[in-house]
Amino acid sequence: MSSEIYKEKLIHKGAEASLWLGYWFGKKALFKYRVPKKYRLEEIDKKIRTERTVNEAKALIKVKSYGLNVPQVFEIDIQNPTIVMKYIEGEKLKNFLKYLDNTKKEKYFKQIGIFIAKLHINGHIHGDITTSNLIITKEEKIFLIDFGLHDYSDTIEDKSVDLHLFKRVLISSHGNDYNLCFKAFIEGYKSEYEKTNKSECNQIINNIKAIETRGRYVKSEDRL
Amino acid sequence: MKKFCLGIESTAHTWGVGIVDFEGGVHSIINNTFIPEKGGLHPALVREHHLNNFTDVIVKALLEANLTIKDINLIAFSQSPGLGPVLKIGALVARILSQLLKIPLVGVNHCIAHVEIGRLKCKIENPLTLYVSGGNTIISAYESQRYQIFGETLDLAVGNMIDSFARDAGLTHPGGPKIEKLALNSKKYLELPYIVKGMDLSFSGLYTAAKRLLESPDFNNKYNLNDIANSLQETAFAMLTEVTERALAHTEIKEVLLTGGVAANKRLQEMIQYISNEHDARFEVVPLKYAGDNGAMIAWTGILRYLSEGAHEITETIIKPKERMDNITVPWRSKRET
Repeated sequence: MSSEIYKEKLIHKGAEASLWLGYWFGKKALFKYRVPKKYRLEEIDKKIRTERTVNEAKALIKVKSYGLNVPQVFEIDIQNPTIVMKYIEGEKLKNFLKYLDNTKKEKYFKQIGIFIAKLHINGHIHGDITTSNLIITKEEKIFLIDFGLHDYSDTIEDKSVDLHLFKRVLISSHGNDYNLCFKAFIEGYKSEYEKTNKSECNQIINNIKAIETRGRYVKSEDRL
Repeated sequence: MKKFCLGIESTAHTWGVGIVDFEGGVHSIINNTFIPEKGGLHPALVREHHLNNFTDVIVKALLEANLTIKDINLIAFSQSPGLGPVLKIGALVARILSQLLKIPLVGVNHCIAHVEIGRLKCKIENPLTLYVSGGNTIISAYESQRYQIFGETLDLAVGNMIDSFARDAGLTHPGGPKIEKLALNSKKYLELPYIVKGMDLSFSGLYTAAKRLLESPDFNNKYNLNDIANSLQETAFAMLTEVTERALAHTEIKEVLLTGGVAANKRLQEMIQYISNEHDARFEVVPLKYAGDNGAMIAWTGILRYLSEGAHEITETIIKPKERMDNITVPWRSKRET
């Protein structure tokens, strides 16, 4: 990369990728670098890291084209599997959800519902919708980040699973706010999805219950 | 006086009997494994094999333990999961023994038994377990009263996939060890599909692609069987290791247990060892005798269940060929770790 593009500070080290802050032609940028894994053959390692980097960048660009708030991709570096993208200034929803008043919570979650519905209508599954991956900016814009587990799908099952995982996150991390927030979320999701396909929307939402009754997801106290 | 449990393993091709005392001492392990002349495991043939051999194995197990059937205080059997017709034989023999001897009977989940014998034999308290065999591919750990499944295969078990490929390549059963040997002769990697979906794995595409390499005109021309064996192992094991590492990072567990028939593979051990070191986790491979299907693991898990929850009524001993390990509570774990 040229001198106009540089990494400055490591801000997160995950199992799969590390995140760096830096600059891209004067713009503050986030560098997502997929780290090599020495346990696997270099050929496999290189292929996987490159493939996933390209797929994630493609997904971000596609989703952005629907007018949804996701980080803008500045460039991808195939040699050192890295996505350089816009750094979203804001706060993770996870960190301040409990301090919000109920009207705000309702408003945000309704918007998130609309956001996810638009993703799903266009055949995108985020795969990891959590309150850590939702960022609210000063202008109160909601951004969805981390498309590392993104997949393309048009099936009811995959969309339901996406919603179900979000529901589980809300229950486990925001138990007190879960009822209000998830209700508003589903309301928003429905209002948007129903515009395109009402019966499919109902099937997706009803299928969440079906997933929960499957052994794997039932909580012990509900089953005993 | 010591109390003994006789455990019967009958989920697939192994008819196994093990005798374990209530303190965890293993007194005998006898297996009689059905080996197909060609093809895979046909449930009807496996069933016939077990029916023909069950008494012999029980007698040998008692002899090895230097006990008579009157010394046995508890009968345990594999109740789930496995091949229906095969599970039925184990359940039937267990019920008869329990009724004849008038001693309690306990049904055990085969997958949980693999974890429990591993914990006992490797002296490990709370492991993240990678259980890889011909019938199962599961990454699990204990959380809120059960062995939760963090990742698993969506189609073929990894052992089944390797054995099937070996069969297509003309190798005799079991194919896994033969593939491992062949792979050592190659440094070449042929591109194969690597499929990890979130925390789950898929091996069917990998199997088909490897099989196509065998059928291609380039076979024994541009590459040979050693190269496919190497590529197949490297791809499948890297997938397993990736998901195991993710589970390790997520749970922050500091012990890793590798078990099941495929645990014997040195290359897989090496990979799991590597990620365990990276996460400062202790790594243990269950000794082969206990890692493969055996009756001792059933006996030991039966003891654990019996001591914490009591025995099963005979009406509760119906076989459950599809039961998942996370469907069952393991109260003996929560008691020790409150």
